[in-house]
Amino acid sequence: MNQSLVSKALFRSIRLNTGFAFVFPCLLLLLLVLGFPAFVAVANSFTPVWSNVKTFTLDNYIKLQQDKQFWESLRVTIVFVAGTVSLHLILGLGVALALNTEPLGNWFFRIIAILPWTVPDVISGLVWRFMYDPTAGIINYFLDRLGVQNPYVEWLAAPHLALPSVIFADVWRGYPFVMLILLAGLQAIPKELYEAARVDGASVLQEFRHITIPGLSRMFQVAFALDVIWQFRRFGLVYNMTQGGPGNATDILPLAIYRQYFRYFNFEYASAMAVVLAVIMIAISIPYVRMMVKRT
Amino acid sequence: MNKKLLNLLLVIVMLAVLVPTTLAAPPAQEGQDYVVVADDWLSKLADKYLGNPMAYPAIVEYTNKKHAEDASYAEITNPDLIEVGWKVYIPSAEEAAAIAPAPPAAAVTLVLSNWHLAEPHWEKTIKAAIPLFEKEYPNIKVELQVVSYAEKDAKYATEIQAGAGPDLMHLAGYSIRNFVESGFLYDITPFVQKEPSGFLDQWYPELVEVLKYQDKLYGLPSDHMAMILAYNKKLFTEAGLDPNKPPTTWDEFVDYAKKLTRDRNGDGQIDTWGFGTVGAVDPGWELRFSPVLLSHGAAYLTPDNKCSALNSPEAKEAFKFWVGLVTDAKVVPPGVTSQGAGAVRVQFANEQIAMKIGSGWTEPIIPTINKDFNVPENLGAAPMPVKAGKTLAKTTTGWYSSWLINKNTKYPEQAWTLLKWLTSKESDQRWFDGARVLSSRRDVSGDPDKGLKPYQPIADDKFSQVIQAELKHAQINPQLKEWPQIADTVNKEVQNAFTGSKSADDALKDAHDQINQILAPYRTAGETCPAY
Repeated sequence: MNQSLVSKALFRSIRLNTGFAFVFPCLLLLLLVLGFPAFVAVANSFTPVWSNVKTFTLDNYIKLQQDKQFWESLRVTIVFVAGTVSLHLILGLGVALALNTEPLGNWFFRIIAILPWTVPDVISGLVWRFMYDPTAGIINYFLDRLGVQNPYVEWLAAPHLALPSVIFADVWRGYPFVMLILLAGLQAIPKELYEAARVDGASVLQEFRHITIPGLSRMFQVAFALDVIWQFRRFGLVYNMTQGGPGNATDILPLAIYRQYFRYFNFEYASAMAVVLAVIMIAISIPYVRMMVKRT
Repeated sequence: MNKKLLNLLLVIVMLAVLVPTTLAAPPAQEGQDYVVVADDWLSKLADKYLGNPMAYPAIVEYTNKKHAEDASYAEITNPDLIEVGWKVYIPSAEEAAAIAPAPPAAAVTLVLSNWHLAEPHWEKTIKAAIPLFEKEYPNIKVELQVVSYAEKDAKYATEIQAGAGPDLMHLAGYSIRNFVESGFLYDITPFVQKEPSGFLDQWYPELVEVLKYQDKLYGLPSDHMAMILAYNKKLFTEAGLDPNKPPTTWDEFVDYAKKLTRDRNGDGQIDTWGFGTVGAVDPGWELRFSPVLLSHGAAYLTPDNKCSALNSPEAKEAFKFWVGLVTDAKVVPPGVTSQGAGAVRVQFANEQIAMKIGSGWTEPIIPTINKDFNVPENLGAAPMPVKAGKTLAKTTTGWYSSWLINKNTKYPEQAWTLLKWLTSKESDQRWFDGARVLSSRRDVSGDPDKGLKPYQPIADDKFSQVIQAELKHAQINPQLKEWPQIADTVNKEVQNAFTGSKSADDALKDAHDQINQILAPYRTAGETCPAY
């Protein structure tokens, strides 16, 4: 038997175990902080954990299936996520491309571009609510100055406007993260590729199509997966802007769960809703995790 | 974070409790002379011989007294400075006690959480009152904890489920029943049984009733007020209306509101509206909508709380009237479905709206938003309008709140002491003086049946006297665990009707059906509710 191969294998297993030892406290913490509540939530959705009467039941899921408001919330959530994520990607890519040209005062524009992301989403929600206010908000003020006939646009109070208004605010809040990832991706594309293309007489559009897009695809996938997961969990911004109203127009699932759990104390029912949301997010994140695993 | 703080607090409290008890038994000691050696200091001696480091002033006192007669004793001018070789006199425990009774240790700290602390006038009132309690009960310290009105229920529920939370909390009618039935509160029945008989008769009975569950009592009533119509007299005058003749019927109300909805600055845009109200999903919404239902002779639920009663012709009429204020009369500012109670107050204080539904809190809050609003001159109060031609006993909402003890409290006895103090006649008078809220107590808000007159300052205050007089027409909202869900359901359907995404009829029907679904657990298998 080859001596060095054995020692190599041994060395490798020690290294792996040391690695595990380093990761272990973190894993333990994750299990305690995330795993335990998650376990309780799942258990709670089948049987009341906090009650003396403990019987296994699927009632909560059956009720969920018949709950029109739940399906409506799910629909609103999907529109919200689809709207915000696609606009985050489009705006993020646009700004990343602009910043990648390294304009004069690059650092200044970078700071400006990233500012919305530094504001907690709760605060963003409050700020946008004030800006959208029909009578006192700055948006309608400008519309009025521009000579718009009926300047009292009910941005958050009209059912067909509320969701687009909320999505718009969230695009402002959330695009910098996508922009940062894509900017990093852009800067990782070797400049030589562009130079070579230019020598071959490629147009800007062709460069974009054949170098930038393929070079960015990985980063695009990462940004997409993370953003989708985060947007499914968005709470503070919408809560502070509309509380889900008017009616159910902006009632995304996290708000519905919050209301059931913290306002109505329907702990088991809220847990069932949360489990459904978690299952959706896990399903979405599987490709992302597989991608990460493949890379390493 | 809170839990950490609480734990820290707990450790401090435990130390405060344990340390004095372990040291409280001082060795039975005769008074004695003592010669100071290196590393002595007075509190150390006091600790060693008297069992209490804080008893050192007794040593100073006695030594100086001896010094006056016998110069061999040292004279201590500065207790922090003693010299080796000084002769001091250490008194016996009895002697020491006679001179400087050691102050009783602050044994217990209670955390008192209250949304009012977020309002300046209330904060001032409460912060002035608590020292009076601490003086009366030196063994109880009170730590105040501020919470927002909208978030308090969620905060308390989470904390209590986690085995923590404040010792005492203040809840409004919207969620009291939910807390009572969820088992979040401390059962105070044993304490009440020790009180003189008739103890609970000090409050209006229906407000004690909401705190009872399965023959146990879970709190004591706090404020109680009737919702009334608050209006801006200046805007009335400007619109050509008599500021001393507020609307008395809903027809008049709409008429007034239309006249008050105007363009005041002449730019061609309407900038002042007749009426503003809560339209967002907000715990304050039910208070403003219920008077409309009641004064039309309608109710949310059937008397047995098993079905929705929103299918009655009266309810339909009331609902359509309310929706029409926005959709037909257009006397409400745009964006009503995103206005919470706070936002409406801002509109009122800034003279964007001429009328709103309010109560005792309105008077002191307005000047904190706009100090130029001349409250004594311009703020009018009137009973809620009623439906012409109807004679009904109850025509407006009764607002009420309660003080409750957390079931997790470590100090139920002390919490009870504080609870009783907070709800005493003197305290409730104090809350009126500082914050203009009326009380659930018959001896403060008055009860003609018992021959009890209201607290004089209530009777003297032009705004409050309207609220006091309306108490007899006030009815509290249905009392059941599901109330927040029911109120929110109607609230959302009103939004749908306001914005036109449903007709008033469809919205009310949907509310009716949803409520019946929520109430299903209260009905037996065969029981059904009438369809809309």
